[in-house]
Amino acid sequence: MGNITVTINGTEISVPDPMTILEAATQNNIDIPTLCHQPDLTPNGVCRICVVEVEGARTLVAACHTPLTDGMVIHTRSPKVLSVRKTIVELLLTAHTGTCVNDVNAANCALHKLASDLEVGEPRFHVQKPRFYAPEESNPYVTRDLSKCILCFKCVKACDEIAGKGVLSVGYRGFESKIITGCDDALTHDICKDCIVCADACPTGALSRPDLLDKKQKGAV
Amino acid sequence: MPEKQIVSMNCGKIDPDNIDTHIDQGGFKALQKSLEKMTPEDIINEIKTSELKGRGGAGFLCGTKWELARKAGENQKYLICNADESEVGTFKDRHLLAKDPFTLIEGIAITAYAIGAQTAFIYLRAEYHFLLDLLTNAIEQAKEKGFLKHLAVQIREGAGAYICGEESALMNSIEGRRGESRYKPPFPTEKGLFDKPTIINNVETLMNVPQIILNGGEWFKTIGTGNSRGTKVFSISGDVEKPGVYELEMGSPVKELVVTLAGAKNIKAVQVGGASGSIIPFDQLDTPLSFETLLGSGGVIVFNNERDITDMVHQSMIFLSEESCGKCTPCREGTEVMIEIFRRLEIGEGVPEDMENLEALSEAMMLSSLCGLGQAAPIPVLDSLKYFRSEYEDRIEKSQILRRLPRSIA
Repeated sequence: MGNITVTINGTEISVPDPMTILEAATQNNIDIPTLCHQPDLTPNGVCRICVVEVEGARTLVAACHTPLTDGMVIHTRSPKVLSVRKTIVELLLTAHTGTCVNDVNAANCALHKLASDLEVGEPRFHVQKPRFYAPEESNPYVTRDLSKCILCFKCVKACDEIAGKGVLSVGYRGFESKIITGCDDALTHDICKDCIVCADACPTGALSRPDLLDKKQKGAV
Repeated sequence: MPEKQIVSMNCGKIDPDNIDTHIDQGGFKALQKSLEKMTPEDIINEIKTSELKGRGGAGFLCGTKWELARKAGENQKYLICNADESEVGTFKDRHLLAKDPFTLIEGIAITAYAIGAQTAFIYLRAEYHFLLDLLTNAIEQAKEKGFLKHLAVQIREGAGAYICGEESALMNSIEGRRGESRYKPPFPTEKGLFDKPTIINNVETLMNVPQIILNGGEWFKTIGTGNSRGTKVFSISGDVEKPGVYELEMGSPVKELVVTLAGAKNIKAVQVGGASGSIIPFDQLDTPLSFETLLGSGGVIVFNNERDITDMVHQSMIFLSEESCGKCTPCREGTEVMIEIFRRLEIGEGVPEDMENLEALSEAMMLSSLCGLGQAAPIPVLDSLKYFRSEYEDRIEKSQILRRLPRSIA
């Protein structure tokens, strides 16, 4: 198919059709933050961090899955977009009980990086019961600490689409949603073997490689 | 404007177990007319002329939607009748299904013919399991009479999730996946059920179709207001003397429904459209019920002077939080945060920033949620803050007084 012309942040650009807003922005060095997106996975549209303003649209749209149409006028850093983005990051931090502050892995946490990029301080909001799960180290290949999980569903997609295993899925609903294996069973050696694509996809370190953790703790890396 | 019956005209007049009583009332004539004298394009044009809009809440023009599905270049297409009526205080579809399943089947048959679908699903709410036999029987009888030669009608039962009334979550549910919304585009008319073009319409919408085919789109256009043609079936409950199902012409004032028909007294507020519906105060009861002003799914709940608005919004929010699918951040986390704010207001731990936070959170949820649930959830919060702000202020003031008291007294 041919090219289409769109305007992002006042600059007119020509891109091949079909293409998502995020792809076009990345190609033109316009930064749109994401948490649940990974280029080699199909879009998730879950975290809503990548929302942008499209003129004429009723709501903001997520850049990662919205296809461009000819003549679209997009603003990626309008005050409305920035304020909503900040609120979403705050919401993610609110229910988050990960031991981020004194964790050696905190530097790798995409949510923390995003929060500092967007200058989000102490969240304005509170929940009665933040998510807390005991860390699991029973699997020799992957360590799971669901307290750090921000439910971006990336691990589920990676397990399905890259590994083709379908070990991980989403259980429960609403605020209680949780990434589970089987019928919410422990992540043991029997369920999950050693591909670790989920740990590589995880933006926060809720799933991580035990060896990496060990070395870091020992100061080797 | 008095009651006007188009959709529910046969309710009570026919025996829902016997198709002959329906045929005696002129049933299935519209289907015969469509199949014998009209092409699918004729039907779509007639519906376009009538300006019929979806009755499920979103109010999208049916003719336009059907045309998109008709033109989609796939052989396999689906029609889904959304009978997952799970909005709080909404029971109009239950009434229609129980009293007159045949008009629905006729509407489904005509619609499927118009869009070119060979399979139609009726997605029945889990709580309406008691209607399953009645519907199955009605489909069987219609089949025996030879009305469904061009179509296979199947019933799929839900599993008790509110979100599965949202069209994309409904399709996931039929496909056997987790009931969570999909992002759009692609729209269902392009890639819907099993990635095939799909039309999803509410029970009431489909039941409008036979009368439009019989009497013409121009006739339908004469009823209702400029942007909302036809009638609307409402289910009214709450602090009223005569709760029940009423069909009114579009544009009728809220007062007509709530006071004249249902007999409400000492009204404080009326919520139109279920848990995430708009709230209007008693002094705005002249507002017309139409797509331009307020409508939603047709569930109307009346609150009298003894009710506490913050309490009521709190309950709505608990419901919505429980029913959120948990997929997107703003809805999953936002509803939980709102519950916490309301909980603190209730137990006297409110702070002045609460109202500001509710507003900021509402804006973010409305603008960035993935589907209608998260986008509509803050509506009652914003409406109550607009019309009943003093109740929030009272709660916060009381909280501050409580805070100043010595711990032993508080």
